Amino acid sequence: MSTLVLRRVRHSIVLLILASILCFGLVVSAPGNIAVLIAELRTPGATFEDIRKIEEEIGLNDPLPLRYFDWLGGALQGDFGISYKTGEPVGKAMASRLSTTAILISGGSLFGLLLSFALGFAGAMRPYGLIDSMTRSLALLGASMPSFFVGAMLTYAFAVELRLLPSFGLSGPASLVMPWITIGLLPAAVLSRVVRVGLEEAMSKPYAITAASKGLAKRTILFRDALPNMAPTYINAWGTQTALMVVGSIVVEPLFAWHGVGDLFLQGVRFRDFMVVQACLLIFITFFITLNLLVDIGMMLTDPKLRRQGA
Amino acid sequence: MSIGATTFEALSKVPKPALVIVGGFVFVGIAAPWLTPHDPLAQDLLASNQGPSADHWLGTDHLGRDTLSRLIAAARTSVVGMALVLGFALTIGIGLGTLAGYARRWVEELIMRIVDVGMAIPSLIVALAVIGIFGTGYWNMIIALALAWWPAFARISRAVAVNVMNRPHIEALRVMGASPARIYFLHLLPSTTGAVLVYATADAGALALAIATLSFLGLGIQPPTPEWGQMLVDGLRFLEASPRQVILPGLALTFVVIGFNLLGESIALNRVPRPLGKRLLDRGRRIAAAWSER
Repeated sequence: MSTLVLRRVRHSIVLLILASILCFGLVVSAPGNIAVLIAELRTPGATFEDIRKIEEEIGLNDPLPLRYFDWLGGALQGDFGISYKTGEPVGKAMASRLSTTAILISGGSLFGLLLSFALGFAGAMRPYGLIDSMTRSLALLGASMPSFFVGAMLTYAFAVELRLLPSFGLSGPASLVMPWITIGLLPAAVLSRVVRVGLEEAMSKPYAITAASKGLAKRTILFRDALPNMAPTYINAWGTQTALMVVGSIVVEPLFAWHGVGDLFLQGVRFRDFMVVQACLLIFITFFITLNLLVDIGMMLTDPKLRRQGA
Repeated sequence: MSIGATTFEALSKVPKPALVIVGGFVFVGIAAPWLTPHDPLAQDLLASNQGPSADHWLGTDHLGRDTLSRLIAAARTSVVGMALVLGFALTIGIGLGTLAGYARRWVEELIMRIVDVGMAIPSLIVALAVIGIFGTGYWNMIIALALAWWPAFARISRAVAVNVMNRPHIEALRVMGASPARIYFLHLLPSTTGAVLVYATADAGALALAIATLSFLGLGIQPPTPEWGQMLVDGLRFLEASPRQVILPGLALTFVVIGFNLLGESIALNRVPRPLGKRLLDRGRRIAAAWSER
């Protein structure tokens, strides 16, 4: 077990290092001179001499490995350089926005978790029945609707027609509802299928049939035997879906005018603000790799076969 | 079995709704210039924001452009974009994947580590980052998406290539003295390409969605070229006055993605005959796997 975890941690660290090189390489390979951009930002109509000075100042003339370690060392301390567009430190903008994205993703993830179990269990209680085919269709629809369309439709229904919920901003519990549903619908749809199919598989196993023949209620078997057995599969799928919510945040945050990291990334991409793009990318990748690591450890803990393998 | 018969057999196993939706989408995309009742770009400000009528079946948008024509023309934008991205991504992915599967050792190690990093990041974020560095524009979008999509194809190609290389007929070819080039181009590449193309079809829905999402964010297809995501964001400003301009492109996109999702599900099923009972179960497990890997 512990060796398995250690090997997995080592793999993650290698991936992180490779990913950071990728982030760095992306900006190095960008067309145009970064120093010119900065010079233009500081003093419009900068001279050749000013540009030369800035090149020296931010170390553009240093060898690449040195520049990489300089950048990485700064990033590890929360210094992601200066935004070309606003002239402010990227780290500061990032810090003020992390909580917004955390609220969005954790809320959406919770919504997805609850809805997927509700739909999955409703379907598994009576396989191939009316409720099952309904939840199946709902899942297909939820998995196929683009999140921006979901968000637009919710806005139309609840903000324009019914005037129940605010259509933008982050102020009070009412403003949380639509963004959470928008970002959580896709994971809910996908995960409900995982729950439904996982439960059906577990229910056809000999242990479930034995339990049924002993006279246990279906609900008891579902919760006590089937549920723990599909946990590893579910945790894996949940991790993938939560990682994909970062993609969702890039769409949902601008749609509801939330100022989170997804919105920051989008602004960076729009204005080709390399330092912002680079910083957000590094944060995202760290999040994905850490999440993947936790998911794999979670799978090892919930799967007795894996637990015994490494011991 | 001839290629035609194999293709026909494969098509007959695909569920009808998926076949109708995806087939219809591709057909409309290809035939769009002959199908549009009006010029999708022609503005008529006197006839703006009209409801459905005999002349404009689905009404007009805020610039008086025929909505039905724009929806049809958008299908073409989508089909062409997908074909280009798949073309580039498959070329890179199959090329590097088969190379890794053929060469093994450090070449494989190097390629697959790059693929690992690519797969660790969701495709859309890779595409956005590339656009953020190189700027917006049609070709930048195509290249960004191709760069985001190739690692998945490379991973599949490598898995298939390793499998093919381990089969006895490759060993026999080696013993008979076939050159590496002959083995690679005549035996490895064709059998790998087929398997990867099937996977690419299953994954095409995500690509259609990505093009629409980038356009929705204003980083993909630029106005006035009609595209569903871009039409939707255009209509969003008039959500209160004419929600139709948001609902119609959204529905079209959802419909197409449903088709591709059904297609992907049926491909994941693989349909190998098995004893009854176990078959149903296996089917379920494959569906779960297909969904959880999205």
